[in-house]
Amino acid sequence: MSKPQPRTRSHVRGFSTMRAKVLAPVALASVAALALAACGTKTPSSTGTTAGGTGTTVAQTSGGSITLTEAGSSLLYPLFQIWAPAYHTEHPNVTISPAAGGSGLGISDAIAGTVNIGASDAYLSPGNVSKDPDLENIPLAISAQMVNYNLPGVTKHLNLSGQVLSQIYQGKITTWNDPAIAAANPGVTLPPTKIVPLHRSDGSGDSFIFTTYLSDADPSGWGAKYHYNTNFTGPPISGALAENGNGGMVTGCAATPGCVAYIGISYLSKTNSAGLGEAKLKNAAGNYLLPNASTIVAEASGFAPKTPPNETISLIYGPAPQGYPIINYEYAIVSTRQPSPPTASAVKALLSWASNPADGSAPSFLNQVGFQPLPTSVVALSTAQINKIA
Amino acid sequence: MSTDPGTPPPGFLLADGPPAGLGSSRRRFGLGERGLRGLAASAAVVPLIALAAVLGVLIYKALPAMRYNGLGFFTRLAWSEGNTYGGISHAGGVTHPVGATYGGLSLVLGTLMSSAIALVIAVPLSVGAALAIVEKLPTRLSRSLGFFLELLAGIPSVVFGLWGVITFGPILSRDVTPFIARVLPNVPVLSWFKGNVGAGEGLLTSGIVLAIMVVPIIAATTRDLLRQVPVLPKEGARALGMSDWEVTRRVSLRWVGAGIIGASVLGLARALGETMAVAMVSGAILGTIPTNIYATFTTIAATIVSQLDSALTDSTGLAVSTLAEAALVIMVITLLANIGARVLVRRVSTAGLPVGRGI
Repeated sequence: MSKPQPRTRSHVRGFSTMRAKVLAPVALASVAALALAACGTKTPSSTGTTAGGTGTTVAQTSGGSITLTEAGSSLLYPLFQIWAPAYHTEHPNVTISPAAGGSGLGISDAIAGTVNIGASDAYLSPGNVSKDPDLENIPLAISAQMVNYNLPGVTKHLNLSGQVLSQIYQGKITTWNDPAIAAANPGVTLPPTKIVPLHRSDGSGDSFIFTTYLSDADPSGWGAKYHYNTNFTGPPISGALAENGNGGMVTGCAATPGCVAYIGISYLSKTNSAGLGEAKLKNAAGNYLLPNASTIVAEASGFAPKTPPNETISLIYGPAPQGYPIINYEYAIVSTRQPSPPTASAVKALLSWASNPADGSAPSFLNQVGFQPLPTSVVALSTAQINKIA
Repeated sequence: MSTDPGTPPPGFLLADGPPAGLGSSRRRFGLGERGLRGLAASAAVVPLIALAAVLGVLIYKALPAMRYNGLGFFTRLAWSEGNTYGGISHAGGVTHPVGATYGGLSLVLGTLMSSAIALVIAVPLSVGAALAIVEKLPTRLSRSLGFFLELLAGIPSVVFGLWGVITFGPILSRDVTPFIARVLPNVPVLSWFKGNVGAGEGLLTSGIVLAIMVVPIIAATTRDLLRQVPVLPKEGARALGMSDWEVTRRVSLRWVGAGIIGASVLGLARALGETMAVAMVSGAILGTIPTNIYATFTTIAATIVSQLDSALTDSTGLAVSTLAEAALVIMVITLLANIGARVLVRRVSTAGLPVGRGI
């Protein structure tokens, strides 16, 4: 039994040399795989024509039927939910799969190429455009934003200004019976309730347009300090709440007496059934107005001639005397380089249909969510941008 | 060798190799052997490489943020991506949007506070449950209780989060916490429970939801440890006239004491890194230090998930880099907790336990 011992050692030696041989490639492969997985940035816009090969292109074409994916803005989401079945009825080979998630998600998914259409209430930043020149922001309709509050007993629409909201969101006005609020609301009995400012926790176009309003109405205060962004930029306030999506803002505000929240107009029926109040906002001309068809159209008509060919423009706090101060284009963020010609033509057809006041932007659709169709001159600009998609 | 009656048939001599003269079977045998060893060895090394690769990539991604944020990351409160629609400037070789400020203090504090609350609730509950299962309950009952405990461990965290948001949080803030806040005296420590009770999202709700999530981990580990306590010392203690409680306290718990610390750290690691449930019930507020136990807050893990979408829209990449830095911080905290537990376990288990070691 003494003989086998050297063999045992030779086995051990064999193991160690084998270890060097086998493990080196295994190690290399696993490191490479991990590094790839971690570093890999998805840029189908630059690889353009590799249909479905990279795992990041989404449109599935089988037997002539196409599924288009949409994600982003929770403000545009209710409209896409109405559009999807209607469009499928008209074009049985095209299925639209909409999802919410916030405008930040809409922009980042469009950049990554994980969706065909990213939805956003915010236009692309100059940095994003210079980094991804293939991306376009194409307006489909015009939306507005409400400022809501939960004050049991207050039945009248409260008058609020950008300056007052700026103070509230900086934590400088903390109770509802503050003199600054009372001065704008003569004859209204305001309770001493503590104000709980709600903001969005996700990357949100609503945060973008709301902070744009605060920046424009309070340029030396909010504008100088906090700017505007899809990521809520304001200072932290003790007791404040952050909510996910417009839906989260409605339920969060309904559960929190004293709250103030900015919510997209497509959630009007939900804020009403939750018993939330809706504020009249002060525009640049000094008038307090509610968002409705006439005030939204008045505001939009002032901006339509100024809209540049790339349609990147803020529609906030315009000079129209009867214009509601927070309106915005609802953008589809789309890459001009689609993975395949059938996908490109399907995307083009859908966007043309959606922005056309005779089709997707007909009152039968838009009235359900409180949106307004694009002015004729802006439809032409959108069509020109849609035609660049290939 | 063939005359040795005790020799097993060829093929069983794993350590010694096959008998001489069976060349062909020896080759086949060697291949199988090598294959198995190779597989085992690579399986043993891949986790190490994975850890190194994750750390390496995280550090590489976080470098611009570490340079830009500096050590002030741990003392600042404000968290702002800056004006991503405005100018882009450069500082110390890092491209960043004007006004970008990142402070991780509230994240680190929020992570530690919510996990601490979870452990304070979960450890006594878990040890009690384990003791009941092992020592007190009749077999049939303890078996079904153990089964439900394991079921609890398998529930996805998002389910706990949803329950916390739509059921538990509102009930807590409507029916329970206002009473607690009113009744408790305003003295140090207890004053932490007074003041504005909020709307159901916050530190206490998160702590309790986390506690429910870590109880199965701590309880199952403690139960397995208690089962290993030998019968003789316990019977000896009873023979000396000790009561049930005394036997539990002086024999069983002393025996597994160090193990309970280890089990608690397993639970702590889960609580520190828990993402979805906390993102849902924390209130997701960046940049504040809680002033009472009901205040809204956020944790490192919850911030990474809630801020990622908007961070990806920052064309300079600084926002994503900062999230990588935050991820690095939570990894280091978890590692420190594990190392700390090991040191503690070693110290406790050598400090004169009455009978043997717990683990």
